[in-house]
Amino acid sequence: MILRRLLSLYGLLFFVFVYAPILLVVIYSFNANTLNMMIWDGFTLDWYRQLFGMETSLTQSATFVDSTDQLWGAVRTSLIVALSTSVFSTVCGTALALAVARYRFRLARFYRTLMTLPMIMPDIVLGIALLIFFITIGMNLSMLTIIIGQSTFLISYVFVTVSARLAEVDTSVEEASADLGATPAQTFRKVTLPGIAPGILGGWLLAFIISMDDLVITYFIAGTGNTTLPIHIWGLLRRGIKPEINAIATLMLLFTLVIAAAGLYFRSRRQK
Amino acid sequence: MSLARRKLLQLIGLLGAPTVFLLVFFFGPLLIMLVYSLLTPGLYGGVDWIFSHLNYGRILGWADTRYEKFDPVYIAIFLRSLKLAALTVVASLAVCYPAAFWISRMRPGMRDFAIFLVTLPFFVSLIVRLFAWVLILRPTGFLNQGLMGLGLTGAPIEFLYTDFAVILGMTYVFIPFMFLPLYGSIEKLDLAQIEASSDLGATRFQTFRKVILPATLPGIVGGSVITFIPALGNFIVPSVLGGAKVLMIGNLIEQQFLSARNWPFGSALAMLVMSAVLILLIAQFRLAKKEAQS
Repeated sequence: MILRRLLSLYGLLFFVFVYAPILLVVIYSFNANTLNMMIWDGFTLDWYRQLFGMETSLTQSATFVDSTDQLWGAVRTSLIVALSTSVFSTVCGTALALAVARYRFRLARFYRTLMTLPMIMPDIVLGIALLIFFITIGMNLSMLTIIIGQSTFLISYVFVTVSARLAEVDTSVEEASADLGATPAQTFRKVTLPGIAPGILGGWLLAFIISMDDLVITYFIAGTGNTTLPIHIWGLLRRGIKPEINAIATLMLLFTLVIAAAGLYFRSRRQK
Repeated sequence: MSLARRKLLQLIGLLGAPTVFLLVFFFGPLLIMLVYSLLTPGLYGGVDWIFSHLNYGRILGWADTRYEKFDPVYIAIFLRSLKLAALTVVASLAVCYPAAFWISRMRPGMRDFAIFLVTLPFFVSLIVRLFAWVLILRPTGFLNQGLMGLGLTGAPIEFLYTDFAVILGMTYVFIPFMFLPLYGSIEKLDLAQIEASSDLGATRFQTFRKVILPATLPGIVGGSVITFIPALGNFIVPSVLGGAKVLMIGNLIEQQFLSARNWPFGSALAMLVMSAVLILLIAQFRLAKKEAQS
């Protein structure tokens, strides 16, 4: 009994450990103290106003110079990259998963093992390898190189997510559809695709979130002028710690939570 | 067109483009990196296409070009990274194992929600989560304020920019990596076996060591490997929480590419990290295979 209580106490502490740091960032993004961001000095929305370019009572020294335009530029770049990368990776990953799960061929097992490699490869190794590659073949670093680079490992994430779903879907329905005279294209569109749609959607969301957050690989292959959001914040952190970062972090948190909630919603609908 | 032929065409249609993409943009870069690690750095940051083994010689400790002066500084940094990654694994195990055990005993509805809560931070921006720890560990941060408020220490303790901060940060960001494999094997624990063990007179510790631990070993190994790998090559966590003092192999690689501009040497270092990772994966694969056979 005592052991059980101790375990419960430990479990609660575990969740404090996981969430307290994140909550601190959120709470202190509303702190009015401009001199010492660690000491609470009343509630303010100034840090958010600053981010949206509105009038604030903040002094110049409290904020990063000119950061608002750069911030929204970075958000734009991140969204374009994440959208392109996630769509491309979803198409490729789904195609691979379908091939491996629904066709019998000699390399199927080999593919399964191989597809884990891009996920497990340390990102710094992949990042510099891509940098060397792009420079060697004479490709200028641009948004395109970021999209290509991120896709190399995001395809694997989609592959795994869709494969898991494919393994759950009953193949006998597909066979029945074919027996009843549906063409392969019809079977795919009316039976297979609806069955694995939640997996595809989940893989796409996963790829989107990971792409939005990718720092290391993008860091090496972004070149100048293609700052994504994580790289922008990375740069801010190197220039100093200012409360503005709390507000940016809180907005990012909100964005992630909305996407995660959407993913969860679709998953619960699937189970019904 | 015969059925077999049509199936083959479909298969090629599905596999073709993604396979070519991955061959060119995943395996291609790794191959070129291998080639680069065997080249000579040029004078102004480029490379000269002269093959040499000096980059690897330099890693092993011969920093001069004639293999005379021995100074294993890079091996030391690599060993240090291995040590920090290993300590991160140990800390993660200590943090996640009891938590996974606790959650596995909850009611099903609560359980799913708890697992969701543990995995959610994985989707929160890495840089945001690390920034949170900067706020906590700083000399004027929450931890020091708390300690001084309680009168436990008179002057702020320097937590930031230490090994402790780096291990703490890596443990924190890799929690989902360790938790999920652990939970997977703890969930499958046979309660009847545990009861039988205590009925037969085993102490709690004996039951844990002889019954629970062996049964959850696959999860422990899986979680450890998947935490160790990203910890080993990490350079973001040591950059944010370790400052300039805590250098890991990842920082060294980054420097070779962005400030020192010695790409061949950086490639050789990356090859070292990649080899370590592959060796670990193959070992785990073999172990799992052996276990499946017995």
